[in-house]
Amino acid sequence: MKKVIDFVKPAAILLLVAAVVALVLGMVDSVTRDRIAEIAEQTKTNAMQAVLPAASYEQIELGAETPADINEAYAAEGGGWVVQVTETGSQGAVTLMVGVDADLACTGISVTKSSETAGLGAIASQQSDAGEAFRSQFVGQTGTVAVTKDGGIINALTGATITSRAISTGVTSAIALCETLG
Amino acid sequence: MNAKKQLTEGLITNNPVLVQQIGLCATMAISTSLFNGIGMGLSVLIILTCCNVVISAIRKIIPGQVRLAIFVVVIAGFVTIVDLLLQAFIPALSSALGVFIPLIVVNCIIIGRAEAFSSKEGVFLSFRDGVFQGLGYTCVLVLMCLVRELLGSGTIGGGLLNGASSFITLDGTGAGFRIIPEGFGAGALVLPFGGFLTLGCLMAVMQYALRKSNEKKARKEKEVKE
Repeated sequence: MKKVIDFVKPAAILLLVAAVVALVLGMVDSVTRDRIAEIAEQTKTNAMQAVLPAASYEQIELGAETPADINEAYAAEGGGWVVQVTETGSQGAVTLMVGVDADLACTGISVTKSSETAGLGAIASQQSDAGEAFRSQFVGQTGTVAVTKDGGIINALTGATITSRAISTGVTSAIALCETLG
Repeated sequence: MNAKKQLTEGLITNNPVLVQQIGLCATMAISTSLFNGIGMGLSVLIILTCCNVVISAIRKIIPGQVRLAIFVVVIAGFVTIVDLLLQAFIPALSSALGVFIPLIVVNCIIIGRAEAFSSKEGVFLSFRDGVFQGLGYTCVLVLMCLVRELLGSGTIGGGLLNGASSFITLDGTGAGFRIIPEGFGAGALVLPFGGFLTLGCLMAVMQYALRKSNEKKARKEKEVKE
């Protein structure tokens, strides 16, 4: 016959270990939290500067009817917008910054977050010649942007075109959003 | 148990990846560039050593019924600490390894060593076990990265070496050294199935070498007897 203590003791020790771990985690979090937020902010600003250079950006309040793939939109000082969109790629979400000028033409894109296949779709986010060549195709595009397979002019990264299509869709909806803004 | 024996076990005779064949998922997924390989290997080494030491230190008070739950809490704690520190101080590595850092929680190397070693042995032995098993893991990762990166992307040391400002960079922007011209690499090797091929070849080489050395040892013993 087991006594009550036989049940309580393991639970109490587990609780104690969990409490100590939680305490340590809290301390590490308080040390790193500000720095992580700062880095995220810096990455975002860098991406915005890369797609549409401007002295400052002002966040725009988005209405309730805004399409679901639009995350945030900013009006750049001196005309134009920067829109952050999230599309579905082949391995998960692809988040990109799209710069759009006052004439509703794309000024550049930057993939800020993605987990596409290494060596294939991942090229879209890489700082390589191939990645640069792919992204620069979007500069100057207007209206609906599509890959060559869908009748557009974007040369896809791979035959499956999943990442390239996701990015084209993102640029298209960013331009469409700016049309309603401007 | 002496240090030399533990070191050979970790690196060769009981290597976590090539012999115990645990922790393969992350091994396949991230071993595409030297930067990732060294980063992941060292992260596992640090987490494994810390977990081994803590679990060994509290092994006498851990009740048998809830030992796995306690292992997981300790492991998850250290993994989260490393994850937060990487995000704050080496963001490039954090974004390159992505979900595979949090997934170290369920990497069976760590819970495997906790169950098989550190929950039974002393703190110092467990510390050494963590370092040596971690080194064994790192070596295999680095080997796989070298093979896959060279044959797949045609570079050596991508992300880590030959940066714009210094020879070794920690921001993941190093260009690496290009050995095979761009576009001529066997891109398939960078994909997961290329990882399986590379790992299979490494395991075969390892088994061959182990058998040769065992045969040699057996022959020597026989000669001594005669």
